[in-house]
Amino acid sequence: MVNGAPAPSPAGSRGFTLIEVVVCLALFGTFLLIITMLTREMNGYEKRLPVNFMAHPQVGAALSRLRRDVLDSTNYPDTYDAYSQGPKTLILVAVQPSGYTENIVWDFTVPNEVRRRAYSVGNMTSEWVAHGVPSFMVKDFEIEAHPDSVRIQAYDKTGGLAVDQIFQPRRHGQ
Amino acid sequence: MRQRGFTLIEVLFALLILAIVITTTLLVFVDRTRRLQQATETILAYQALSNEAEVRRRIDFSQLDNASISFISDTKILTPLQPYQTYVTVADTQPNLKNVTMVIRWKNGQRSARLSMIRADTGGTNLW
Repeated sequence: MVNGAPAPSPAGSRGFTLIEVVVCLALFGTFLLIITMLTREMNGYEKRLPVNFMAHPQVGAALSRLRRDVLDSTNYPDTYDAYSQGPKTLILVAVQPSGYTENIVWDFTVPNEVRRRAYSVGNMTSEWVAHGVPSFMVKDFEIEAHPDSVRIQAYDKTGGLAVDQIFQPRRHGQ
Repeated sequence: MRQRGFTLIEVLFALLILAIVITTTLLVFVDRTRRLQQATETILAYQALSNEAEVRRRIDFSQLDNASISFISDTKILTPLQPYQTYVTVADTQPNLKNVTMVIRWKNGQRSARLSMIRADTGGTNLW
């Protein structure tokens, strides 16, 4: 045997021919191509949809409580305590089952947190905090010339509108 | 001892088994993702339906039939479902009662979400 030359194959063994390797690669390549096309199409469509915040139980709980508060509300004071009405703060006066009213402040100023504070006769009677929620924004909303509705929205990190809910108070005393 | 490589049939058979395993796993994953997407689409659609219902509840009973047959409320949340169609039908079910049905169709009508509500004529004030 010459130094540096490949060792001779044992009797009866051989490698693949070029045709065999090409056929195998072509078949497997076709398979990989189909998989790639499938996943690309899937991911492309997924990117069109915003994050499903509504699947988060804390988001559902916050929106349910907010809907109830707006439904029971009688008016929206401009200020209360240290809070002022704005896109990150909602202040409302809501009728309670007892018949008395409570001042309720919804504070969305802390990122990924929702804080609901209820005040009765100047004293805070309850505080509820939801964590891990998107950054909500509050707007006043007019329906049929009645500007007493509330619109709450939340965008995901890519700017997709994920939450958009309109709440309006029920009529009181009618 | 006799040594030999794999034959083409052996390699193809091994690849076939591998392809079946990968395809099955991928199909399960794709199906799960598709269902999650459908759930997200439905949630977006029902938010728009809920908003439209709030607006339609505020319209005077006498004006319900004259209101637009498309959605009046802002449907920006439906942007990911484009192209989509919205329509509203008002049917008289009983005297002084109207059935307002709001429908959203997307994916060329393959998917839809609908919400119906009954409005009653309360004699001047809206029923909330």
